[in-house]
Amino acid sequence: MSNQRIVNFTLNGEKSTAIVRGGETLVELLQNKFDLKGARESCGQGLCGCCTVLVNGSAVAGCLMLAWFVDGADVQTIEGLANGNNLDPVQEAFIEAGAFQCGFCTSGFILMTKKLLSEHPDPSDEEIRHYLIGNLCRCSAYPEIIEAVHLAAAKMRVLARA
Amino acid sequence: MIGLDIHEPQSLEEAFALLGDDESTARPMGGGTALMLMMKARLFKPSALVSLAKADPRFHGIHLSSDGKAFTIGAMTTFAALEHHDAIAKHLPVITQTMVTLANPRVRNVATIGGNLAHADPHLDLPPVWLSLDSSIRTIGPAGERIVPLADFFAGYYETNLLPGELIMQVHVPVSPGWRRRYVKITTRSAHDWPAVGIALGLQMQAELCTDVRIVLSAATDRPLRLEAAESILRGQKLTPGRIADAAQATGDIHIESDSRGSADYKAHLLKVHLARALQDLSE
Repeated sequence: MSNQRIVNFTLNGEKSTAIVRGGETLVELLQNKFDLKGARESCGQGLCGCCTVLVNGSAVAGCLMLAWFVDGADVQTIEGLANGNNLDPVQEAFIEAGAFQCGFCTSGFILMTKKLLSEHPDPSDEEIRHYLIGNLCRCSAYPEIIEAVHLAAAKMRVLARA
Repeated sequence: MIGLDIHEPQSLEEAFALLGDDESTARPMGGGTALMLMMKARLFKPSALVSLAKADPRFHGIHLSSDGKAFTIGAMTTFAALEHHDAIAKHLPVITQTMVTLANPRVRNVATIGGNLAHADPHLDLPPVWLSLDSSIRTIGPAGERIVPLADFFAGYYETNLLPGELIMQVHVPVSPGWRRRYVKITTRSAHDWPAVGIALGLQMQAELCTDVRIVLSAATDRPLRLEAAESILRGQKLTPGRIADAAQATGDIHIESDSRGSADYKAHLLKVHLARALQDLSE
């Protein structure tokens, strides 16, 4: 059978197993089999960023990636970011800056910001705009999102010094 | 997409067998981003996808030849790998410059250069740049390997001159020291939209003289198109404002197609204005 298979992968740090169909996307797998709703399909074309998932540390569009290929991979979603009740500094920063209204796009923005700050610990406005060019916020919280990224960067610098 | 078979062949022979004959709707797959879009839009329903990730090591890697004269880039190389490659940034900075205009980081992490070429959508950003660099493609198929100049590769909208069963294995890109290069992407709706017009430019200058030139137009015709009439006006000449204006005017005969990013007339106007500006900038 090559139209379904068992995939073994690490999901937010835990060994996980699922049966997937050939045409199933990563977002469908996470939503339907693991009840993880943070990555969601919105545009369905890889343009909006709402389906962002980290696979082996790289941000991917979960709506364009076939679940088939996560076998053996390390998959991280927004649900794995907080440590118990302690939010990640990027999550804190988005709340403190009020960087969302409806929140639909927020999980994607936060995961992309994690990646941005790992590559550019102190990004300029220009670098932020460029890196997040493929994340759309239809409530248009963009000024607050840029503020949140700066705030998150500052928080992470303080943590790094501690 | 129920009933889609997926295969990950471990050898080329296995891949060729899975892809079958010309009638087969099994398709080779790189990163799958373009295929997924076509499948989701129900434009295309393949019976099977055959991932080339594990079929042969030659599909992978970015290598500069020992004499430093050319890069060989595996077809399964992702855009992100190209974007962050130091030797590419040093010797082919126009590629690095083009990458940051292309889609977004998530797509660049997954999409491959081979899949991008095979997709043969004339609106893609990278093919005109490869063409302006005089690149060629090494293909492999059941009948053996071929070198295909990029100029002969595209056949039209979403069509290439690959033979049945043939796969894109590598892209060969000559290094051209002393050339000044640029990719001009003109978008009409938002910064990260598909181009209304793309222009890949290369200029070889000696003192004030343009000794050689490449101008490739994309997103306006059914395939990336080298603008030889404009090139011949510039080659061997001083790039005075008048000469540059003549070259831009020489694009007037091209049959440009309208699409949702601009009418043919508008695209023709964009081409004239932006070609002249870019030539002026690059020649200074």
